[in-house]
Amino acid sequence: MILSEKTVKKINDKLSKYPKAKGMILPALTLAYKQLGYVDNEIYIEISEIINVPQLEIAEAASFYTMFPKKPRGKYLLQVCNNISCALLGADAMVDRLEEKLAIKRGETTDDGLFTLISVECLGSCCTAPMIQINDDFHENLTRQKLDELLEGLKNGK
Amino acid sequence: MTFYSPVVTNAKEIAGHEKLHLFEYVEDEKQYQLKRYLEHGGYAAWKTVLGKMKPEEVIEEVKKSGLRGRGGAGFPTGMKWSFVPKDSPKVRYLLCNADESEPGTCKDRVLMERDPHVVIEGMAIGAYAIGCHLMFCYIRGEFHHSIERIEKAMEEAYSKGHLGKNIYGSGYDLEMIVHTGAGAYMCGEETGLINSIEGEKGMARIRPPFPAIEGLWECPTIVNNVESLAAVPHIINRGADWYRSMGTEKSAGTKLFSLSGHINRPGNYEVELGFSLQKLIYDANYGNGISDGKKLKAVIPGGVSTPFLTPDKVDVPLDYESLTEAGSMLGSGGVIVLHEDTCIVWTILKLIKFFRHESCGKCTPCREGTGWLEQIIQKIEDGRGGPDDLEKLDSICGNILGRTICPLGDAAVMPIQSTLKHWRDEWQYHIEHKKCLVNQNFGF
Amino acid sequence: MAEAVKEKILAVATITCTIDGQQITVPKGTSVFYAARQIGIVIPAFCNHDKLKPVGACRMCYVEIEKMPKLQVSCATTATDGMVVSTNSQQVREGRKAVIEFTLINHPLDCPTCDKGGECDLQDLTFSHGYDDSRFGFNKMRFIEEEKRDTFDDLKIGPEIVLNRNRCILCYKCVRANKEAFGEYDIGAFERGDLTEINATPGGEVSNPFSGNLVEICPVGALTNSDWRYKIRVWLTKTVPSICNFSGSGTNITFYKEDHKNFVYRVTARCNDAIDDGWLSDITRYGYQIVNSESRLKTPLIKKGGKQVKASWDQALAVIKKHMGEIKDQSGGVCIGGLISPSLDNASLYSFSKLFRTIFKSNNIDFRGDYRYLPSVTDSPFTIAASQPFSIADIEKSDVIITFGTDLIREHHNEYLKIRRAVNFFEATAYSVNPYAVKTADIAKSEMVYSPGTDELVINGICLAAIEKKLVDSSAAAKLKPKISKLSLSELTKQTGLGKEQFKELAEAISSAKKITFIVGEIVARSLERDKICAALSNLNKLFGVQDKGQLAVLSRYANSKGAQKLGLSATPYEIVKAELKKIWGEYPDCQPRNTDSMINLMKKEEIKGFITVGTNPMRLYPDRGFASEGLEHVDFLVACDMFETETTELADVVLPLCSWAEYDGDYINLEGKVQTGKQAIKPKYEAKAAFEIMELIASQSGVKLFENEQSRNEEIEQLLSLNSVLPWPDDFLEIDYDKKSSRDDYPVPLFICDDPHHSGHLTEKSPSLLNFSDSAYVELSKGMAAKIGVADGEPVRVESPVGKIVVPAKISRVLNSDVAIIPRNFSSTQTTSLLMRKKRVDSVKLTRVEE
Ligand SMILES: Cc1cc2nc3c(=O)[nH]c(=O)nc-3n(C[C@H](O)[C@H](O)[C@H](O)COP(=O)(O)O)c2cc1C
Ligand code: SF4
Ligand code: FES
Repeated sequence: MILSEKTVKKINDKLSKYPKAKGMILPALTLAYKQLGYVDNEIYIEISEIINVPQLEIAEAASFYTMFPKKPRGKYLLQVCNNISCALLGADAMVDRLEEKLAIKRGETTDDGLFTLISVECLGSCCTAPMIQINDDFHENLTRQKLDELLEGLKNGK
Repeated sequence: MTFYSPVVTNAKEIAGHEKLHLFEYVEDEKQYQLKRYLEHGGYAAWKTVLGKMKPEEVIEEVKKSGLRGRGGAGFPTGMKWSFVPKDSPKVRYLLCNADESEPGTCKDRVLMERDPHVVIEGMAIGAYAIGCHLMFCYIRGEFHHSIERIEKAMEEAYSKGHLGKNIYGSGYDLEMIVHTGAGAYMCGEETGLINSIEGEKGMARIRPPFPAIEGLWECPTIVNNVESLAAVPHIINRGADWYRSMGTEKSAGTKLFSLSGHINRPGNYEVELGFSLQKLIYDANYGNGISDGKKLKAVIPGGVSTPFLTPDKVDVPLDYESLTEAGSMLGSGGVIVLHEDTCIVWTILKLIKFFRHESCGKCTPCREGTGWLEQIIQKIEDGRGGPDDLEKLDSICGNILGRTICPLGDAAVMPIQSTLKHWRDEWQYHIEHKKCLVNQNFGF
Repeated sequence: MAEAVKEKILAVATITCTIDGQQITVPKGTSVFYAARQIGIVIPAFCNHDKLKPVGACRMCYVEIEKMPKLQVSCATTATDGMVVSTNSQQVREGRKAVIEFTLINHPLDCPTCDKGGECDLQDLTFSHGYDDSRFGFNKMRFIEEEKRDTFDDLKIGPEIVLNRNRCILCYKCVRANKEAFGEYDIGAFERGDLTEINATPGGEVSNPFSGNLVEICPVGALTNSDWRYKIRVWLTKTVPSICNFSGSGTNITFYKEDHKNFVYRVTARCNDAIDDGWLSDITRYGYQIVNSESRLKTPLIKKGGKQVKASWDQALAVIKKHMGEIKDQSGGVCIGGLISPSLDNASLYSFSKLFRTIFKSNNIDFRGDYRYLPSVTDSPFTIAASQPFSIADIEKSDVIITFGTDLIREHHNEYLKIRRAVNFFEATAYSVNPYAVKTADIAKSEMVYSPGTDELVINGICLAAIEKKLVDSSAAAKLKPKISKLSLSELTKQTGLGKEQFKELAEAISSAKKITFIVGEIVARSLERDKICAALSNLNKLFGVQDKGQLAVLSRYANSKGAQKLGLSATPYEIVKAELKKIWGEYPDCQPRNTDSMINLMKKEEIKGFITVGTNPMRLYPDRGFASEGLEHVDFLVACDMFETETTELADVVLPLCSWAEYDGDYINLEGKVQTGKQAIKPKYEAKAAFEIMELIASQSGVKLFENEQSRNEEIEQLLSLNSVLPWPDDFLEIDYDKKSSRDDYPVPLFICDDPHHSGHLTEKSPSLLNFSDSAYVELSKGMAAKIGVADGEPVRVESPVGKIVVPAKISRVLNSDVAIIPRNFSSTQTTSLLMRKKRVDSVKLTRVEE
């Protein structure tokens, strides 16, 4: 088993609340992703066995949603909103800057495995644009200086 | 925990602030806690409903209030509830649509993070009205803090008997599940949302059957936006007439607007429906004008799914009817302001990329059409546009509009059509000169 | 909307609408699409399928409806009273044109090299509805296999299926059919938007027993199968209507043939709603390949000096004449016996019977070569149960469906699908009651797994529960109770392993059903105690009045089992049949009737000296190989007719090449009693002959004619078929005695030998496609059982019974959840029936891991 006992327990707890087991696909994938930072076929099989839903249905769902990376990512997942409200306030330039500072392109991970950079669609932070989501946290109203500080902080393990 | 949330208005300083209810306590840092919520009169409406009202009476009250859905379509909430068949032996579900992913919109998040109990209370009342005993709050997966706040609030509500078995001794049972999304705009569309809870891909379903008849697990299901539900406890507490007294004849009450883009004071504002868009943008208590002293070029009034307004149309009341008349839609209330240095082609390219990325892929016109549109627009943006491209865009948009399963197809093309109409010269310029008409440079 | 829904709704209400100026009245709930079809207007469509729920995805089926500003998709729009529809207005035509254009932008224009050319919906609809040229000026999206970048667009996703994702137009029919109709989860749609791709489950392949249908319903060349792919263009073939020869349902099929090569190219469905819904099992679809097989018997063979050598028909017939004549003259016709396959047509079966009974004057015939002891009385409870009427179409109309003692997916794939449909589309409630967990259970409300060998106790338990709960008539209850209550309900629960609640649940379901279908299958039919079980069923039927509100029957298993029963092919035909035969022939042998089992016994005693097998292979299929082989090896003179060399033909003194069902016109009676004709597709291959011809030739050796001509033969058959062959149940409740189950600790695991889901009987291993799915024996075990003996999937297991031993790989089952072993009997490479003992009610084995 790749899924930890804790994750399995959480899945089972939630499973009991759902009228139909298939409804647990998304919650289970989310819990698996939270533990591992990615999901893949082996995980689908494990989930399939826990919630007794065909592996196929889990794989189909997982492929549809963008929040489930299929490969492990860097320690910090930098998601830059690149939709219109952020773009109007320089999100494109912000991504360029990140690419330059981290010496990677969009979709890549730094060699030290610290950062993965991706650009994403609107994250519901339009009034506080531009913004970036780092793992679970939103960082909003960014300026060049704030962004630099943020990166430095993360690099130094803060 | 660092707690970020979109800025909100200095509500108390605004004239007529006594009418504001959604944002009445939004600046109270403790409002998210049950204790504070109760101090501010929380769960009183829920108690009233369970103690004194029949489900039909709740529906009637909400119908009378004139509340319309705040998720985008503006469908009367009370009426939607009344569509649930009374005699159906099936269980019913109430789903709170907290997927908030319409670009330009970030209002539901504020409610969930700052006043989560009102969302739960609104859901509970809605659930009772339709006879539902298991309700879901579907929150987009990226909103970790909203999820955390709602889940915490839910636990508190359970532990103090506002949810669970035999609530307030009324004999009514109500369970709640927080179901989180995982990155798909389509899951905000009600049938996509239902599919997503069922464990399917977030694809649209054909209607009829409408969810109120056959939704989640083929049972009667009501989907309501966070803001719609959050208004319900206030309506119960203060009465339908009070709610009706705000806004316009056909657009009652207040609404949250998310103001973003090239604006001096971006933020979420609660205003009465019928409030002037002009005022929202320029008034010092609100948007306080266009940033960098630039001139206004366009406004997208209701999230990126709505047609663009030209500056001459900006003096318009923010209500469902007036905006339709002005050639756009109130939508979800995401007002995006574009100043004069914004290239229309570039803007549209951003939008169509979004819609292509988010198309669920079920129906042909949207799936194939959005990709085709993106390629043509990208070509024009790159300076490789051809003389017949605009006509082609017109025609492709026309072939998508009204031809898809869900409104995403329409949403993708209506903004394009509006710019092809109002900024055709700029499109033409882009094709002929292989570059922008304006000197766009959004620094960071 | 589906026919059956229509029928259900019809009782309720109708609506009248106007389509293209014509008024039409249809059942409420009918979609505009089907309303139009009823008046002959065919609306173009890609994603709609008659037997699947509408999804409205392709948007090809637009119509214009008055008072609706937008175009509507007719497949998903219900026709309403007064609705005025136009299916061919300017707006509609433009709408369709746009859809074709969208559909084509990413579709390769490779029709000349695409195998679907000539039968591609997209190609056809583009010609009739599309633009002349393309406005799309970009590169088409192209899916390319990562490892084979740039070179290869085709992807093998299953033993028989090849996928070309570029051609896929995302109608989702394959995925929908797989899930909705077949309950299978091996093909899916992944990713989203225009990147959506159809593919097999990650790490898996598309190999379900119905997978061939996916190819057939694909509207374009995205799914093709290796069976047909690139062998011939469709317009070069001719079609011939026929019937599946591997199922009891008589699924309707179409042969595609080419005359010069005298070759059958493929089989597709020939949808007959009353029977099959147009879905074929892979066995039906690919089984035809045996017709073309190079390894068919080409000429007669005769044994010379211990070796079989080629011979002419005349030589072979002369040998038969000599030996059979000698036996008949010296020992009498009673020393001659025969066994025929119930998959053969009426004419062949009847000729066989007539040959034996009028020329050899023998009653030693049978058609059940794979059953143990058979009743030697004509009205045994099993015979009665097997004669009961059954309607496939009524499955869909039932609100309660019980499957008892049947592993449907291995026995009756068509009924398996019908039940799924009844549950998924018509809200029937299904119960699966079996000695091991079966696939059908995934749609069942409850699955009840009882201890093997306690079948009749389960039935008794249901009856007792009903009596206890007062669900049945009290006077009937009072009569039945003393006959079955030797064991109390709680003792029954102990014996059967089912709970009281489960008995009650079943009792309630049966008594509250408005219309019931109660299917009894091979697990009962092959049981040594089939009569006892059917006696219990007789009681149940009487107690609940099951047949008064539905149907209860042991389903017949092979293409013409029902014909064999009706024509009197067992040693003891129904009395009424026997009387009729006497009348037709003016004679009927009065010697003792011998069924398969007693014939084999007599062979050992050298009392049966001559034996003829036709299309059957008792050496492989008789449930006790040791017994069968001992018998057959003793026979002085064995004639075996078959399409292929088999374990039985190997022993024969004369081997005669038999035609396949594709090589002559034949009538078959399906499990409902419906007579259907399978038309001749090709000329007999090599020197093969149909069985009825062979029988006539053997008769002619004695200087007699079985029939004046074809017409007189058919008249005789007609006469028999017109008899009412439903046997009445006994008037009284029957006593069910109880013998304690004996289990041997040294052989603890119950064994079931049955068909692989991709095979049927002994012939399908000659189909290359079916071999691609499954090519050799295995032992299917539950996960728990495998763990107990410490084997992983695919690892060898020694399976030992008191009489035999084989070594086969383990196959971990996805459905089994108890300690049983299931082994297929279809492969000549493993002598699986050697594990069986004909006198055992439940065979059991010992399983051990084979150390390397
Ligand atoms: C593509 C698409 C996305 C949508 N996204 C959202 C959303 O994020 N939140 C929301 O409340 N409604 C969204 N809607 C509207 C919902 O379908 C639905 O109308 C709404 O949740 C109903 O609630 P209301 O009546 O309270 O507005 C979306 C609609 C479409 C077509
Ligand atoms: S319009 Fe787009 S998102 Fe909506 S069903 Fe069609 S493909 Fe899916
Ligand atoms: S057939 Fe109606 S949408 Fe495809």
